[in-house]
Amino acid sequence: MDYLRVTSEVELAAALREDGAVFLAGGTDLLVKMRAGALRPRLLVDAARVDSLRQLSDRPDGLWIGSGARLEDVLASDAVRRDYPLLAAVLHSLGSVQIRNRATLGGNLANASPAADGVLALIAYDGKVALATQTGERTLDVSEFVRGPRRTALAAGEYIRSIWLPAPRSDWVPFFHKVGRRQALTIAIASVGGLLAERDGVIVDVRVVAGSVAPAPLRLHPVEDLVVGRPVDRTLLATASEAARKAVAPIDDVRASAPYRRDVIGDLVARFLRQASGHTAGGASP
Amino acid sequence: MKVRFRVNRREAAVEVDPGARLLDVLRNDLHLTGTKEGCGEGECGACTILLNGRPVNSCLVLAPQADGCEITTIEGIADGPHLHPIQEAFVEEGGVQCGFCTPGFVMSAYALLRANRSPTDDEILAALEGNLCRCTGYAKILAAVRRAAARLALKPDSEHTPEAE
Ligand SMILES: Cc1cc2nc3c(=O)[nH]c(=O)nc-3n(C[C@H](O)[C@H](O)[C@H](O)COP(=O)(O)OP(=O)(O)OC[C@H]3O[C@@H](n4cnc5c(N)ncnc54)[C@H](O)[C@@H]3O)c2cc1C
Ligand code: FES
Ligand code: FES
Repeated sequence: MDYLRVTSEVELAAALREDGAVFLAGGTDLLVKMRAGALRPRLLVDAARVDSLRQLSDRPDGLWIGSGARLEDVLASDAVRRDYPLLAAVLHSLGSVQIRNRATLGGNLANASPAADGVLALIAYDGKVALATQTGERTLDVSEFVRGPRRTALAAGEYIRSIWLPAPRSDWVPFFHKVGRRQALTIAIASVGGLLAERDGVIVDVRVVAGSVAPAPLRLHPVEDLVVGRPVDRTLLATASEAARKAVAPIDDVRASAPYRRDVIGDLVARFLRQASGHTAGGASP
Repeated sequence: MKVRFRVNRREAAVEVDPGARLLDVLRNDLHLTGTKEGCGEGECGACTILLNGRPVNSCLVLAPQADGCEITTIEGIADGPHLHPIQEAFVEEGGVQCGFCTPGFVMSAYALLRANRSPTDDEILAALEGNLCRCTGYAKILAAVRRAAARLALKPDSEHTPEAE
């Protein structure tokens, strides 16, 4: 295996055209796979010192996050703390300090795990990814970029340059809950992230995304359509959880069974609607 | 290939395989065996070191990725024969049983106390979330970090004060 460190996007784009070249960001997914023998790159292209990929830029039309920004740096940014609390909550629960000091959002996206927590938050904020090659750039919705386990829209030689999150509603109330076997360092068995805006007791806008229950983090459009324009009450909680159970397509694996995951998602969606709407009459917390 | 870094304030230049993990280079080439390998995949924190001042899992860093960087290992925090106050606190509180996890916990605590002189218990637990211990049940580790924080707060200008990067 060869190793090449690049320090500019020009060098990076050229290096990625080499046969068998693999992009190396924080290495927290890549090195685990290499150790397990699941991946044997011919050439590792280390892009961690390409400064243009590590910037965050807070602009009136939204926040640009370099694909190579370390998650601890993303978490420390004022814009993320102030305007994107769901992203902050999600990243806070991702791995550990040690992992977040290396890991990047570009890696979380390109690794394309159904459990990728960062991806879930980016989808909830309607994020877009800018993909680049030697010859140009294109932009895709995050939800189009992740196709399934380890499958993305990346073409040969292409890399993720940045992630764009549009300026959020100021009245979004965030919710994130991940069910795992323990608190730290947990790969989600099932997770729900959401944003909710309410006026006069009625839901006026909502986003719900579920993790680990479909080939990629999944926006639960049927749930969103069902609850918008309605007040949060017991009936709504019951129908929304039922819609969530139906919308997901979980699998059985070593961590949990499919029916269990389906039930957890139903409960988490109810909990989201209850907590984010400040509703208290829906029964005991799951 | 040749990599160079500063380890515990000394220059080091090592010939490595591009796929060599920093953990192995520290232990096998530089004989800094205080850094331990538990899981080898980022879960246990036994291999925690500081890379440019930040705690990372050295099992998940390739040696070439650390080229040109400043590295601190458990061997680099004592002052000659005098243990660092964090190390003393682990001894005094009984935060050590088999000791395998201890270097990693001490390095995580060191990074925390350098950034935050008076952490709350929640902040201590958050800083230690990437470190596992199979022996102590964590209570005495928490007590040790509390004690170290209190002691460091009392002597702001001593040579034991975690220095700024
Ligand atoms: C102990 C442990 C705990 C973890 N906990 C969590 C968790 O709680 N939640 C979670 O979601 N994940 C978790 N992860 C997974 C991992 O840390 C994240 O997915 C992380 O965001 C990956 O980023 P990275 O920079 O380390 O990626 P790398 O390992 O460097 O790369 C991952 C993949 O993405 C590709 N890639 C990276 N950047 C780009 C780019 N800009 N353009 C194109 N391709 C690119 C690489 O070629 C590789 O295929 C955990 C991992 C470990 C080891
Ligand atoms: S050996 Fe590195 S985290 Fe366990
Ligand atoms: S003291 Fe034995 S693992 Fe922590």
